[in-house]
Amino acid sequence: MSNLLGKGLIDGLVVTAKNFVGSYFDGNRKDRLFTYQYPEERMKLPENSRTFPFLVYDGTPDQLRCTACKICETECPPQCIYIVMERDANGKPLQRPRVFDIDISVCMQCGICAEVCPFNAIKMDCDFERSKHGRFEDLLVHLPELLKSNEYYHQIKSAEATRVDATRKPTKKPAAGTKPEKI
Amino acid sequence: MDAIYQLIHAYCPTMPDLLALVLAILLPIAIVMGVFLTVFALLTWVERKALGRIQNRRGPNRVGPVGLFQPIADGLKLLTKEDIVPDAADKVVHFLAPVLVVVPAFLVLAVVPVARGFVPVDLNIGVLFALAVSTASVLALFMAGWASHNKFSLLGAMRGVAQVVSYEVPMVLAAVVVLMAAGSLSSVTIVEAQRGLGGWFVCKPWGFVGFVIFQLCAMAEVARTPFDLPEAESEIVAGYHTEYSGFKFALFQMGEYVAAITMGGITVTMFLGGYLGPGSDLPKIGWLISACWFFAKFGIIVVINIWARGTWPRVRVDQLLGFAWKLLLPLSLVNIVAMAVWHFSPSKLVGWVASAVLLAVAIVALVRLNAGAAFEKRSYRFTS
Amino acid sequence: MTIVFLTMSAVTVLGAVLAVTLRNLVHCLLALVLFFLGIAGHFFLLRADFLGAAQILIYIGAVAVLILFAIMLTRNITGTEGGRGSLGGAWWLGVGIAAALAGLMCAASRRSGLAEKLPYGATEEGVVKEIGRLLVTDWVVPLEIMAVLLTAALIGAVVIALEEERKR
Repeated sequence: MSNLLGKGLIDGLVVTAKNFVGSYFDGNRKDRLFTYQYPEERMKLPENSRTFPFLVYDGTPDQLRCTACKICETECPPQCIYIVMERDANGKPLQRPRVFDIDISVCMQCGICAEVCPFNAIKMDCDFERSKHGRFEDLLVHLPELLKSNEYYHQIKSAEATRVDATRKPTKKPAAGTKPEKI
Repeated sequence: MDAIYQLIHAYCPTMPDLLALVLAILLPIAIVMGVFLTVFALLTWVERKALGRIQNRRGPNRVGPVGLFQPIADGLKLLTKEDIVPDAADKVVHFLAPVLVVVPAFLVLAVVPVARGFVPVDLNIGVLFALAVSTASVLALFMAGWASHNKFSLLGAMRGVAQVVSYEVPMVLAAVVVLMAAGSLSSVTIVEAQRGLGGWFVCKPWGFVGFVIFQLCAMAEVARTPFDLPEAESEIVAGYHTEYSGFKFALFQMGEYVAAITMGGITVTMFLGGYLGPGSDLPKIGWLISACWFFAKFGIIVVINIWARGTWPRVRVDQLLGFAWKLLLPLSLVNIVAMAVWHFSPSKLVGWVASAVLLAVAIVALVRLNAGAAFEKRSYRFTS
Repeated sequence: MTIVFLTMSAVTVLGAVLAVTLRNLVHCLLALVLFFLGIAGHFFLLRADFLGAAQILIYIGAVAVLILFAIMLTRNITGTEGGRGSLGGAWWLGVGIAAALAGLMCAASRRSGLAEKLPYGATEEGVVKEIGRLLVTDWVVPLEIMAVLLTAALIGAVVIALEEERKR
């Protein structure tokens, strides 16, 4: 009876009907009804997902890893990074940025800045909820918003952060306006 | 309409005649449009939730309890969208096309008897009027594609026109069987001819085949899945309504959906016994019970429509036209012959058996003839 | 001469006049559809309900679409190119001939008294049963000839399409 006329059509209808009825009795398992009630629940993003860059700090925001070497500014293809190095009272450059602006309306999320940074200071975030109300000034992200802790880095990309931590040598950054300390 | 006229005369005899006439015309129109627009809005919600459950997801559940206000949200969104008309488009025709899609869809509701004594106009040629007016929407389809001044829209419109015109013929022929049995074109007479146990035309062999043919053709006429080639999102951009935005697009969707609802109403009237059912003849509340019966049967048709939409894949355009001309049309002709055999046979049993056998043979023969070459068993070169 | 008859006639005449005077061919076709609707209304007024519904079904549902296809296949996409002005040079000659023909037909049909001779009339339930009965009793030969003609046309269309396929 497998090639009874119209059997394929009826089989399809039976499958759909079973699915429909079963969807009410299987509970709210995410593998059954896979709707995520955004914004109350969000999907877990994979580790390699990336949106916009952020600057990593160890411990306090003062101890950011960035030394304002400007390699990421040079390598950025659409040139959306603007860095000004901090200088102390005598004009001597301290190894930290005073201004670090990324224009996220220009940033194309290629991740090249994260690839080329020799200090593992700038990494790619996976936060996609970046909408703002303005189109120009609101999308220029400054240094305070870019700083996120190493714990946050571990939280979003634990394997990568562990790998980075294993290869890094810990250094202490000079505070703004003081002489650099030797370890 | 006549009933309301009598009611007005009974309760307010002092009203001038012209006013009573105007009221008697406008009141059924208002009631029918109100009821069916509400049914349309509810049905869009039902369809989205049901399709979601079939497809392992929830439907809309944000706007109101379980998403009940979603149709309102959709309507408001489309109302406030900008109405973009292409520069090179024909302004008059571009404007008229959505109107001409919606008007026939609603006009057919004038002859659908929703409850006992509740048909807006009891035309003598009710069913013919319904079929003729639903045919008039094919012009609107073509106008929509033409006026957009867009080759892809035109192509989508031509395919849509070919589909609608091809499926009209088996639809009308499937309706002819019912007309033969009822002996009249008036929709109320057709419903009354289905009285009695097993009196619904769908319970008879020719009626069942006719019901299937008519339902398939009705689904194809309004371009519902699996026949939604003219307007599917993955085909030819969006077919004939590519260049429409805002409320004109809403009118297209509404026209198509209301046409589907209306065709469901016609199917219920012709094949499923309209408003008949146990308890529909009671003196005082019979009309309410008959309305409930009508909407219950209408619900069955809606369930079939949504179920088919969620299950079957879209047919290709050559398969579509081949299905209409090579399978449904000969089958509907054989159906007419089977009905004649059933009607004129000496005894009921002989009539049933003869018509059933004739239809079964015809179905099997037509499907085998249309089957095409069977797929041969695949053989792979490098796997054993 | 009731209001309804005058309205229907106005709609019909408007459709006909627009169909010959508009510039854009597709607009002319839409005016022609309006004309068909007016004629259907006239049929309903004369109680020939079957004919009115058949007019809508056949003329608007099929003939208008056919004309649209013809326009589309022979003109460019806008349908406005080609042809001079819509009315041509000696339009008064055409109007005169049309008026003379119409007068001739009116006089001929009135003189012949066809209405009294034919016993077929519209009854209270409409004219469908009567048409059906007549088609298979008195007028069965023209019915069969029409059937043969339609079959021949269908076969001819299939043959033409088939030949084109084979030629490729």
